[in-house]
Amino acid sequence: MTPQTSPGMTQDFMMTETDPQTVKSPEVALAVRNLNFYYGENHALHDISVNFPARRVTAMIGPSGCGKSTLLRIFNRMYDLYPGQRATGEVMFDGRNILDHDLDLNILRARVGMVFQKPTPFPMSIYDNIAFGVRLHEKLNKADMDARVQDVLTRVALWNEVRDRLNAPAAGLSGGQQQRLCIARSIATRPEVLLLDEPTSALDPISTARIEELLDELKEEFTIAIVTHNMQQAARCADQVAFFYMGRLIEVDSADRMFTNPKQQQTQDYITGRFG
Amino acid sequence: MADRSHIVKSYEQELGQLRSMMAQMGGIVENQVALALSAIADRNEEAADAAARQDPEVDQLEREVEGLAIRLLALRSPMAGDLREIVAALKITGDLERIGDYASSIARRSLRIRMPENQISLSGLRSMGRLVQENLRRSIDAITQQDSNRAMEVWHSDRAVDEYYTALFRELVTYMMEDARNIRACTELLFIAKNLERIGDHATNVAERVFYAVTGDNLPSLRPRGGPASGLTGAETTQEPDVR
Repeated sequence: MTPQTSPGMTQDFMMTETDPQTVKSPEVALAVRNLNFYYGENHALHDISVNFPARRVTAMIGPSGCGKSTLLRIFNRMYDLYPGQRATGEVMFDGRNILDHDLDLNILRARVGMVFQKPTPFPMSIYDNIAFGVRLHEKLNKADMDARVQDVLTRVALWNEVRDRLNAPAAGLSGGQQQRLCIARSIATRPEVLLLDEPTSALDPISTARIEELLDELKEEFTIAIVTHNMQQAARCADQVAFFYMGRLIEVDSADRMFTNPKQQQTQDYITGRFG
Repeated sequence: MADRSHIVKSYEQELGQLRSMMAQMGGIVENQVALALSAIADRNEEAADAAARQDPEVDQLEREVEGLAIRLLALRSPMAGDLREIVAALKITGDLERIGDYASSIARRSLRIRMPENQISLSGLRSMGRLVQENLRRSIDAITQQDSNRAMEVWHSDRAVDEYYTALFRELVTYMMEDARNIRACTELLFIAKNLERIGDHATNVAERVFYAVTGDNLPSLRPRGGPASGLTGAETTQEPDVR
């Protein structure tokens, strides 16, 4: 598995065109099939089947506790860190089921990056925040590492703001800058999928706009799955939107259809604010 | 999720206000058309004046609906059915305003007609007027009841309005050919028929927009049309009168 390549798509886990719960796409990065998830006794996700098209943004929306973040955390096996949590079904990624027990999680997590709601810079310099993850997976000389750091900071539009203080602690950056640093850190290991769990909920509108602009650029290269409570953000950023309610996938469609003409009454009620 | 009202009550109230303004505007326009038809059929000058007098009120309501719709778009970021309803209201209000204009144009024109001695039959115009009135009524019911079936009925029956217009065109041209003294009155009546046909078109526009707002789907872009009378294709290309 070379991280630089885009996910190889095999026909056997492409959904058929007749499946109503998909946006037709030539390539599928993540194919979720009959996925169930349990927090101990609590059945949190019920029989989810959905495709995440490659190099597209898929937004997951739904009220708190609907299972959208749970799904996101399955994609890089975050749940493995907690005893009692288990998943059944399959999540096909580059020909392999992510849920397989013998999967190398270090490689998976290098290929599937994640950014959280609150910026989580490591307590180290701006430079080392980026270099830390890269060093785990690649042996780069100083010049190549410098180039990598500059490249990812440039892509998240942070380079000009931090180029003179790369060795300063990352904690000294503003919230928006920290979040962009976290995105830079995630893409520094050259993943194929980027998971974003409410990445802008703690940011001001300008920082939010910068990150949305960034998503637009990043999707040319990465498959992006974003959890957001902000409906307008989902409408602005996403190509495909999935609506979850009480652990079930209610509807998935292109963003424009989802926000102008959803098919399910529950979706309509949720996005128009009629959810009592 | 049984309750279909908004969590934000003021949003619900504003949507309710928008609906009631649309209903009010529809009611006035419907009344204008009824008065205009009475002005022609019964030579009722009072009705003609009354129809024309309501124009400013319709114009004012149009501006208010636009203002409220823009406010809702800006402040509420409406989605899905709400978004469709608000955008439809913005467009429907324009159609209703045009219908009002055509009605007052018909009313004013009716005062100018000097009927020649050999009475020209107005029965075709009356029938066309009744059908247009009925279509308009159904369109406005479709708005107030958010009824896509009603909207569909109007859409289908626009064809009959077109056919009436084509037949009337032929009839009035015949009167003019028979006696040149009929030309002036018949020309006025032709303009009136054309205005009625346009009212029918706008009522159909309204129906199409209601259908979209309610279902999220568009009716086909080609409406069912009445075919042009043979040798009288001029009926399809008659210069539209300036109704302002």
